[in-house]
This record gives sequence, structure tokens and C-alpha cells, in this order.
Amino acid sequence: MQRRSFLRGLGLAAAASTVVVPGMVMAAEAPKGPNAFSIDAAVQAITGGKPVVASPKVHLKAPQIAENGAVVPVTVEVDSPMTDDDYIKAIHIFATKNSNVRCADVMLTPANGKAMLATRVKLGTSQDVMVLVETSKGEFLSASQNVKVTIGGCG
Amino acid sequence: MEKRKSLIKIKPKKYKTGEIVKVSFMVMHPMETGMRKDKKTGKIVPAHYINEVNFTFNGKPITTMKTWESLSTNPVFTIYFKVPGKGELKVVYKDNQGEVNEKSKKIKPKG
Repeated sequence: MQRRSFLRGLGLAAAASTVVVPGMVMAAEAPKGPNAFSIDAAVQAITGGKPVVASPKVHLKAPQIAENGAVVPVTVEVDSPMTDDDYIKAIHIFATKNSNVRCADVMLTPANGKAMLATRVKLGTSQDVMVLVETSKGEFLSASQNVKVTIGGCG
Repeated sequence: MEKRKSLIKIKPKKYKTGEIVKVSFMVMHPMETGMRKDKKTGKIVPAHYINEVNFTFNGKPITTMKTWESLSTNPVFTIYFKVPGKGELKVVYKDNQGEVNEKSKKIKPKG
């Protein structure tokens, strides 16, 4: 590589990093802001200390590499008959490293027919997307997947 | 108060009573986190995000959602819904600045 082009590349990289910095700093720091909430506290608030089991019944679909963190499609499907006695009560979606980890709490009813939720979330950095599912019997199931983010979505 | 554009999509388009259909609800909303700075003025843009979405059918709740700013701009919510018969599917959504809007769609099963 020629020295000139190398330096130019370096300059561009520096310029890019200065632009990105506010968002990156925000994502890397400890949670702050009006709705800051850590993942442990969020899970604790929902389960009330009950055990959470990682279950193959919960299917979490999210891209492994997201080019743009501002729009990351997430789909959660849970195997359940969805009858009056046995149904999925709630699906909670968390982004474990966002400043507010909570994305959505979804309360389902047997009228849904199938337990599924698809939405789009913002991710600040590469992190795990975690799903916590509450069944009508009071069990808590979970699933998580790592998503690599090329450009952060906050900032 | 701004008028929000929203849309309810049902898939498949033709369905029968008792069939499970996919319901997508889309809304144009900025979903500000309250941490972003305006590039021109340097001031922090206040948080503005949807915090409640309720799906009802003929007044009966199907799905209620509590949401936070971690959802993307112009969010989409997709759920399944078992069609019990004729009626009206209504989505009411609220945001943290007190806006309350709604969108409804008639459910007309064939057969």
C-alpha cells in the first residue's frame, strides 16, 4: 500500500470514529438515563426469584450479524397448545446491553391461537438478545441469541 | 398533536372462522430514546416512545403490550390471532407524551 493512500484511509477512519463516538460512549458506559435498568434487576422483577429454564420450546429468531443496529428484526415463537388451561401468558424481550434492557412485555391470551411475536428492536452494540417466556402454569422459560452489530442503533 | 400513520395488515387476506391469521400492526413513530443529541442545536431530543399497545377484538383484549424506547423507529408488531367470527379488530396505542391513537380493521371471515 502506498503511504499516501494509507494516510488518507487513516484520516477517514479517524473522522468516522469521531462521528460515531457519542453513540459508542453511550452504549459502552454503565446504564444511565431515566429508564436505566440492568438485566438482572429486570429478570428479577418479573420472575420474583423463581428459576428460569433455558428451553428448546422457545424459538428465537434474530440475525447473527445486524448491519444496522437501529432496526433488528426479532421473532419469538413458543410451542404451546394455547388452550384455556395451558397457554403462554407473557413474552418479554430484552436487549442485555442497552441502557434500558427492556424492549417489550407482551401479554398473550388463548385468543391468539399461536404464541408468536415479531417486532424490531434497537441495539446499541453487539450483545445478546434474550427472551423470557411465562407460561400459565407459572414456569419461566428463556432463550437467547448473540447479535453482532456493525453500526450501533442509539445515537 | 401530530397525526400518526398506522396500518393493520392481515395475512392471508381471505380467511375462515376459526383460522389462525397473522396480524401486523405498523405505526410511524420516532421512538426517541431521550439520549440522542440534535446535530444542529446540540440539545438532547426528549424521549418520545410508545409505551402501550393494546389489541382488542369487539372490546375483548387479545394482546396487551408494554414497550420501551429500545424498539426501533416506526415499529412493527406481529402476532397471531384466531378469528372467532365477524367483528372489529382495534389497536389502541399510547406514548409517553400522552398521545393516544387507535386504528381498527373490520374482520370479515368467509365461510
